[in-house]
Amino acid sequence: MKSLMKKIYNWFDERVKLEDLVNFMGKKYVPVHRHSVWYYFGGVTLFFFIIQVITGILLLFYYKASSDLAFESIQFIMSKVEFGWLVRSIHAWSANLFILAAFIHMFSVLFEKSYRKPREITWLTGMLMFFLGLGFGFSGYLLPWNELAFFATKVGSDIFGAIPLIGEDLKIFMRGGEDVTGATLSRMFGFHVALFPAIFSFLLVIHLLLVQRQGISQPIEMEGKELDKEKKMPFFPNFFLRDLLLWLLVLNILAILSVFFPSELGHKADPFASAPEGIKPEWYFLFMFQTLKYFPAHVWFIEGEVLGILLFGAAGILWLLIPFWDTKSSKGEKNRLVNYLGIFAVIFIIVLTILGWLL
Amino acid sequence: MENLKNTHEGRRNFLKYIINGGLAGFVISIFYPLISYLKPPKQEDVEVSSVSAGKIDNLEKDTGKIIQFGTKPVLLIRTQNDKLLAFDAICTHLDCTVQYKSDMGVIWCACHNGKYDLSGRNIFGPPPKPLQPFNVVLKGDEIIISKQS
Amino acid sequence: MKSVIKIIIISFWILIVSGLSQAQSQQDQCFVCHESIGDNVATLFKKDIHYQKNISCSACHGGNNKSEDMEEAMNPRNGYVGVPKGDQISTRCINCHSNSETMKKYGSNLPTNQIEQIRNSVHWQRSTKGTEHIVQCSTCHNAHGIVSVKNPSSPVYSLNLPKTCSKCHSNTVFMRSYNPSLPVDQFQKYKTSVHGIRNLNGDTKAADCSDCHGSHDIRKATDIKSKVYPTNIPETCSVCHSNANYMKSYNIATDQFSKFAASVHGKALLEKNDLNAPTCNSCHGNHAATPPGVESISKVCGTCHVLNSDLFSGSPHKQVFDKKKYPECETCHKYHDIVTASNELLGVSKNAVCSKCHSETENTKGFAIAKKMRSLIDSLESEIKTANELINEAEQKGMEISDAKFKLRDANQAKLESRTMVHSFDYEKFKEIVSNKGLKTTSQIKEEARSSIDNYFFRRYGLVVSVLIMTMLAVALYLYIKQIEKRKKTN
Repeated sequence: MKSLMKKIYNWFDERVKLEDLVNFMGKKYVPVHRHSVWYYFGGVTLFFFIIQVITGILLLFYYKASSDLAFESIQFIMSKVEFGWLVRSIHAWSANLFILAAFIHMFSVLFEKSYRKPREITWLTGMLMFFLGLGFGFSGYLLPWNELAFFATKVGSDIFGAIPLIGEDLKIFMRGGEDVTGATLSRMFGFHVALFPAIFSFLLVIHLLLVQRQGISQPIEMEGKELDKEKKMPFFPNFFLRDLLLWLLVLNILAILSVFFPSELGHKADPFASAPEGIKPEWYFLFMFQTLKYFPAHVWFIEGEVLGILLFGAAGILWLLIPFWDTKSSKGEKNRLVNYLGIFAVIFIIVLTILGWLL
Repeated sequence: MENLKNTHEGRRNFLKYIINGGLAGFVISIFYPLISYLKPPKQEDVEVSSVSAGKIDNLEKDTGKIIQFGTKPVLLIRTQNDKLLAFDAICTHLDCTVQYKSDMGVIWCACHNGKYDLSGRNIFGPPPKPLQPFNVVLKGDEIIISKQS
Repeated sequence: MKSVIKIIIISFWILIVSGLSQAQSQQDQCFVCHESIGDNVATLFKKDIHYQKNISCSACHGGNNKSEDMEEAMNPRNGYVGVPKGDQISTRCINCHSNSETMKKYGSNLPTNQIEQIRNSVHWQRSTKGTEHIVQCSTCHNAHGIVSVKNPSSPVYSLNLPKTCSKCHSNTVFMRSYNPSLPVDQFQKYKTSVHGIRNLNGDTKAADCSDCHGSHDIRKATDIKSKVYPTNIPETCSVCHSNANYMKSYNIATDQFSKFAASVHGKALLEKNDLNAPTCNSCHGNHAATPPGVESISKVCGTCHVLNSDLFSGSPHKQVFDKKKYPECETCHKYHDIVTASNELLGVSKNAVCSKCHSETENTKGFAIAKKMRSLIDSLESEIKTANELINEAEQKGMEISDAKFKLRDANQAKLESRTMVHSFDYEKFKEIVSNKGLKTTSQIKEEARSSIDNYFFRRYGLVVSVLIMTMLAVALYLYIKQIEKRKKTN
């Protein structure tokens, strides 16, 4: 047994020089300090993404993307296909937890200022993946073609329509027509299973390569110093195994959530029915949705909604470009402004999400 | 010292067994649902907008047969002059299942003697409404029943 | 001076002439002349309400009614038209009868909407000639000798009306040219009905044609606004039959409408607009309206409830009921207030109809069978209920159960068929349906539903097992990590 494994290893080693890779991995260290726990969230996010890919592919075996059949095919998956209920529920739960993990990963990077030179590209690709993740959520929400999804998509794409200049065209592009129809479903399906995954994979490869190439970032105060043995942990196998351990626990939680709170399906969408009460977007859009509600109808000469969207857009761009305007951190100085901004953002998101949930 | 090393080894081996066993169990608990999921379910098609009613040779002239269409029964009739007809087989009176009666030449409900003609119209007895017709087409020698849009 | 005298003489002459002519106009010259030659028309007109109101012949026929000179009086130049033809007839009547001012002037308070009503009626179609409408006012009201509808000599007087209508409606050849499929035996039938017999015996209160069909506004029976459209019939009949005062002298009940409206038939007809549901005339007949006889009830009900009626006629009850003069269906189901049959009717409990005749001491065989039948159908009902609950439970647990649901239809069908089979009063036949068709299916359904529910618990157990495995693996991994870290340190 052992000799067989060795033989296989040797066979590959002769051809692709695995030795180098093992050496590289063996020399990789993860800094150990009181904020080390946050390092795990990148891995957890990755794990959720892997689960999304696997369950997503599985769902594609039975899902039919047309307004006539989408709902029925999911009904079929939920009832006729063995463990279909499990696959769909894991896909749905994992989607939510993916966004949550990505939020945490992003904020931990922000507060540790890990985006500072030389990791600007890592931050950029990460942020773009985060936006894509939101796109995954938005496009995937419509696919079951149920009542709630139908109207949520209607409202959501309407908000895009309010963007000045390009809004109306963007809305029509997203909907594949004037209104949310079967064409929208096909389009969202295309985004969800082809376009977004392709872009995401590309960004993910860059993101991971950079993490491996540049190593794991250390807190500013530890930078420059050679870490002694106590302050670092080999990436392989110590950190890697810990990652695996966490993934196992996460998988456990996913299984439990999926069995006890399986995804619901609701009623089939009827474009001619009146909107049901209490349409809410997915929780990760809730804080934006809720904020837009608080804007007055008109501020000076622009519409409140438009102003809100512009502000969110500006904030997003500001956020995306943090490594470029926060020059202090790159020089190894403390930048309290970023901390305050981050704390404000966390509180803002939490409070408005709760408000949106309750109201 | 030797002893201590032995217990140490033993513990390590035990741990290995657990890890290997756990891995095996883990693989099973992942792959069992996965393979079951990929196994085609009994009912191949989710489309309840059309259903196959078998070969035409299995349906004699001047007879009818109940076909399961989703969760509803549909009455398929091959008439004397070799026309294929299909109707919703649920009697509009009290939800009994109707049948084709060749001696009367009508669709007949056993519960209260309701009768429908071969266009589905309620012509006798308590049924208040006609039966909904379905489309029937012949693909080769296979009868396909589909919903009328 | 001469010319002045001339003028005076001429003016006098004019005055005298005109005075004379005024004296002449006191007499209707048409009438005077026609009466003197013994014209039948004039004799008839003498009785006419219009004559009594001083309306001249010329009102309808034109001409100069003041002129004694025939040439002058009946000169087309003076508007003389002779005998009005086709629509001209009705146009003459309408001129006054649709004008409330004119009618008031003659002291009449007749309605003035007859023309509007008749325009919507079936009679206002064009005739075969195409130049006129089928019916003119004179068709029913006569031309000369028109009298009030309350006058016994009027053709539209209640006692005369059936005959008046039958002039056309019993004429096979005439009716064929307008509506070949319409029967022409209404008058014959009417004469055999309770209404008709009373009418022929001089009872003006009994319903005549117009009481059900309307007078000027008669529509086809298939017209939704017709008084005899199926859903309108109960209301139409109830106008008299629910009027306690009106019906007092006949000594019959007046609650038929309220009973019917609350019955299963009434609800189907009046609330669900189900035109297949029976209306009054479905059981009583229309033109030959009469209550069905005791022995024919099952035949009347059997026009729709064929199987029940047939089973009953072949059952032992038929002979006994006939002998004892029990009305067939009615004995158990009542008549106007027939409600949806329930299991309650069957058996020997207090509400059950069987116990009216069968008891532990009397007619004991039927008592025993009724008891057994009831318990059978009750068990089927409760089995269906359990099967349904199991299906619901499985569905709520998210399990697919459509096959069992499909079978549930068969069980329900067996229940319905067994209810029909009750009317054979044959325990073996009844049991055949309930057990072989019903109970067998319910047990299959229950089995399928239970296995679905079991599968639901399999999911839970599966979760427990896989969580245990993963947790164990996680713990082992944790220990392993600790171990290698410890080894590193000691190294």
